[in-house]
Amino acid sequence: MPAQMPKRVKWRKAQKGRIRGNATRGNKVEFGDFGLQSLEPGRVSGRQIEAGRIAAQHFLQREGRVYIRIFPHKPISSKPLETRMGKGKGDTDYWAALVKPGTVLFEIGGVTADVAKTTMLRIAHKMPVRCRFIERRHSL
Amino acid sequence: MHVANLKGERRKLGGKENNRIRNRGLIPGVIYGHKEDPEFVSVGVKELRLALDELQHVVSLDIGAGVAQYLIKDVQYDHLNKDPIHIDLMRVDANERVRVRVAVELKGDPHGAHEGGVLTHVMTEIEVECGVMAIPELIEPNVSHLGLNESLHVRDLKLPEGVVALSDPDDVIATVKAHRGVVEAPVVEGEEAAAEPEMIGRVAKTDEPE
Repeated sequence: MPAQMPKRVKWRKAQKGRIRGNATRGNKVEFGDFGLQSLEPGRVSGRQIEAGRIAAQHFLQREGRVYIRIFPHKPISSKPLETRMGKGKGDTDYWAALVKPGTVLFEIGGVTADVAKTTMLRIAHKMPVRCRFIERRHSL
Repeated sequence: MHVANLKGERRKLGGKENNRIRNRGLIPGVIYGHKEDPEFVSVGVKELRLALDELQHVVSLDIGAGVAQYLIKDVQYDHLNKDPIHIDLMRVDANERVRVRVAVELKGDPHGAHEGGVLTHVMTEIEVECGVMAIPELIEPNVSHLGLNESLHVRDLKLPEGVVALSDPDDVIATVKAHRGVVEAPVVEGEEAAAEPEMIGRVAKTDEPE
């Protein structure tokens, strides 16, 4: 599976923007039993998400189920090397998911806590942001 | 049923008072219910954490007018979903019936999991109606009988006496589904074969129908 990106978009390029504040949505384990939560803001590229998924599935083999909670919606453009400034915005280089502190990046279900912890550590090595391992909690 | 004791006091309102309360190892809270005026309190975070870890729904609290029992209606957490930052307590009578969400924890190893299935816990809590002093801390159904492509529904739960499930009886609590297998990444010719997504609302240059 190649790196994730949208199938259809309304605009080819997007402004840079800033990642402000903390996650108020997508900051709980919803589908699996364990999750990997981001501790800092950042951009996670489609390739990094794919690398995390492959790391998890190779370690889990046929056990459990992996859920990917983020999607790279944002086109990140860059100018080619040795190009003079100007001549418009560069072409899209890659697609990234914007992540805020608290965002749950991956979830795992159907495995023991030890297996989930090891898997999440392997995924965390592929992520560009600091992460922590979390467990599903009762809503109270 | 065990009722946790919380330490608490009335609190002042306004400005940066809530942060001052949190810095003192307490968290702000509100008490409401029974058509009385709300009361603003602060409660000890240590005792509250213990009560929440033990899945307690009812706590006893003394805020000056004697010890009374309250139902934990809502707890707000920080952005990392780690530390409680605010609590909602509701006044209740001991013989009152209330609606609460109770955690469901699966017990046993389904034999479908040994046939290549994966146990998926779909509903981790259900809404029940019961007496305040009879709220179950956990509902623990046994799933060891579940085979491949079999599910446990709300109607299959054995609830304690006086506890009525309000969720749809056909809702699935847990299911054992065949593993979809490891999806290997196909080899892409060249870097980024399909590099550009389709544009919405732009007329395509080719005659492809939308």
